[in-house]
Amino acid sequence: MAEAKSATVPARFNVGDRVRVKDLPNIFYSRTQLYVRGVTGTVVERTYEDMIPEDEAWNRDDAQPEQYYIVRFRQKDLWPEYPLAHDTLQTEFSDRWLDPA
Amino acid sequence: MPSRGEVQRQQQIKGNLAPAIHDTQTAPYEIPSDRYAAFMQPVHDIGGEADVPVVYEEKEEEQWELDTYVTCEVLAWRGVWNAEERRRRGNNDVGLSVYLGAPYYGRWILAAARMLVDKNHVSLTELMDKIAEVKARHG
Repeated sequence: MAEAKSATVPARFNVGDRVRVKDLPNIFYSRTQLYVRGVTGTVVERTYEDMIPEDEAWNRDDAQPEQYYIVRFRQKDLWPEYPLAHDTLQTEFSDRWLDPA
Repeated sequence: MPSRGEVQRQQQIKGNLAPAIHDTQTAPYEIPSDRYAAFMQPVHDIGGEADVPVVYEEKEEEQWELDTYVTCEVLAWRGVWNAEERRRRGNNDVGLSVYLGAPYYGRWILAAARMLVDKNHVSLTELMDKIAEVKARHG
């Protein structure tokens, strides 16, 4: 990935925090899936700081990098008809896509 | 020159590939906001959509696919595009029909060609002439 030049946006979350995925408007590009938007999960890992896809897709190398997190959801919270209560799904977000839950 | 029959056949194939919304769509003056949201959802965001079972196949890459992959990587090493530009061009900006209908590496090589034209590394006429030349060579 391109090397970012600006200071990182302060990270707001820690492992164990409950977070809800924002439903920001879709326009031209996003890597945040429809099925996780508005759903609450738990931060299980703080992965790395990097450019966000919304900037990198337009080659904005000077944009502020953000902390990335892996968030774990209960499958039943994502798909109400899902048959197994304990199965989970993990996916990754930059800081801006999460709200404290 | 394509025959009139070939022109009609291509138009028919293209018509059949249109997303299966069974409403007549003629660039209307207004659309409901839920349709706008559906239009704006990136085509690669398919998680949870209903689909038919797909047969699992173990298949080696073909030479053109490996060549495509290397070409795309080399363009990245030379700074022509970055990872997200590649994904955005490759996966998002091709339209739903091409996204779902074209081979995986077919989308990659189209994305590479599109980026080279967009960033003025080659002109569209150069690209057209080259494709025509290669087509003629292969009959």
